[in-house]
Amino acid sequence: MYDAVSIEDRQKPVVMLANYGFVNDAESASRSKGMPGVRVISTKVPCESTVLEDIEAGVDGSWDDIITALTKPLTAEEKSPRVEKTETPARIIFKGSLEEVNRFFYRRGWTDGLPIIPPTEEAVLEMLMGTDLPADYLLGKLQSRSGKATIEKIAINAVMAGALPTYMPVLIAGTIDLLESEQGFMGYTTFGFSTGSWSPFWVINGPIRNHLNINNSSGAFSPGNIANATIGRAMGLIIKNIGGVRKGIEDMGVMGNPMKYTMVIAENEEESPWEPLHVEHGYNKEDSTISLSFPQSFLQHYPPGSDAASILQSVIDNITRGMRYTIVFNPSTAKNLAREGYNKENIKKYVAEKKLVPAAQIKAQLGAVVTPGSSLQQSSRDTAEMVPLIRDHRVIRVIVGGGPGAFVAHLIGGGATPGKKEIQKIELPKNWNKLVGKYKNVVPIYAKY
Amino acid sequence: MSSKTEGFYEVLSPWAEADSVPYSAISTRISDLADKKIGLFCNTKRVASPTLKAVERRLKKRYPSATFSWFFNTAPNEAIITQKRKDEFDNWLREIDAVIAAYGD
Repeated sequence: MYDAVSIEDRQKPVVMLANYGFVNDAESASRSKGMPGVRVISTKVPCESTVLEDIEAGVDGSWDDIITALTKPLTAEEKSPRVEKTETPARIIFKGSLEEVNRFFYRRGWTDGLPIIPPTEEAVLEMLMGTDLPADYLLGKLQSRSGKATIEKIAINAVMAGALPTYMPVLIAGTIDLLESEQGFMGYTTFGFSTGSWSPFWVINGPIRNHLNINNSSGAFSPGNIANATIGRAMGLIIKNIGGVRKGIEDMGVMGNPMKYTMVIAENEEESPWEPLHVEHGYNKEDSTISLSFPQSFLQHYPPGSDAASILQSVIDNITRGMRYTIVFNPSTAKNLAREGYNKENIKKYVAEKKLVPAAQIKAQLGAVVTPGSSLQQSSRDTAEMVPLIRDHRVIRVIVGGGPGAFVAHLIGGGATPGKKEIQKIELPKNWNKLVGKYKNVVPIYAKY
Repeated sequence: MSSKTEGFYEVLSPWAEADSVPYSAISTRISDLADKKIGLFCNTKRVASPTLKAVERRLKKRYPSATFSWFFNTAPNEAIITQKRKDEFDNWLREIDAVIAAYGD
């Protein structure tokens, strides 16, 4: 849609064809670029269709509208579009009981569907204890709405998610990770909204993991730990309420993704035989960091043996197509690999070298984005030839996490181009130790039976 | 959930403020497609190209004097004016009277 606005900006009339399910998305995009009147024709051409008869029928259904959109004179509103007044919500947006607050927020589209903690002034002030930055400090403007990511708005969404004040430094760093994400196809502006239902996946490294009791052991990806649960949840609410990303309007994920509720893990640095993720990125071990990728899928597999060859063959057998990969080895599997001489780097290279697929499969998959004249279309590879699925081993991350046992996890999907922004240092407030002391004991203590 | 009478909360808005964007008008339409050069702007998704081909076939039949020129934005989700091909795009557009665009969604 941005290209259509650029065409109109250059004084050429354009009509944009969009499947009827994407008209709201197209209109939102044109409004955000300051040209709400771009003429969008709702068609019944099926999304992603390869059946010519269906495409022809869809065009036939919109034929008259296309001609009209190019020739019908502009209306008064199109000639002078009226700027909508910027909504400046009252500071206190609602007063009511717990149930009424929840209904109000839900009906505004401000929640993830689960109940929220009411963000009262008092609760937000407590949350702000987690940072030295002033409440009105502006980190940046978050897409798609260019919403102002102030510290206070982050704190409000953190309260709603049920986060503790000690999580604020992580949430601020996570928001910076989003704000500074790579522009274009490999960044948040694709993976935050696209039909692929990519989910933010946050990996925490450094001493803060232990300060916050972020689970990196048994059931690390399961519910039950407040840090893992609410850090991811708060980041989801930040994307929704600061970024203004609305499901079915900007977020056009076809299937959606349960990982969007939360997907947070700490690397198990203590039990890892390898250097942690943030050290690979050039940080000191004593630094704390948060890193971001956007997987679509989460799968687990059970290597048929505990020797390196069996483990790595199982990894290779279970790697599917993606742009970025995170392989999570449990500590004992990681130690077995290390014992046989494997480190993170040569595991990545091994997997990239050994995972072969027929060239025809690659070409068929790339067909989704191949357009006439592109070099991909002109590829003359033998379709039976076995070729690497992964051309650059740097798209693979290896981390250690999970509990005792044999299972290995893969998170497969999107993320930054290697070398581009994906990791952010977490800055701690001056009163950090005192704050940690206050909340450190917020941990589940199970009944004995 | 607590009862409706239990607890009373004054809550802050989580919805971020955003600066209003100045709006611009779209450009003047053409009176007719006859004798015009129509641009077909094709984005990356796989249904975009066959959709525009179907449009082009129909237009050629109805407006035999119209001519057509294609432009492909081959970088998924990257606005053409942010790419190295911006000048190529501008040069292409200069020769065009009106554009039909398809993203493929």
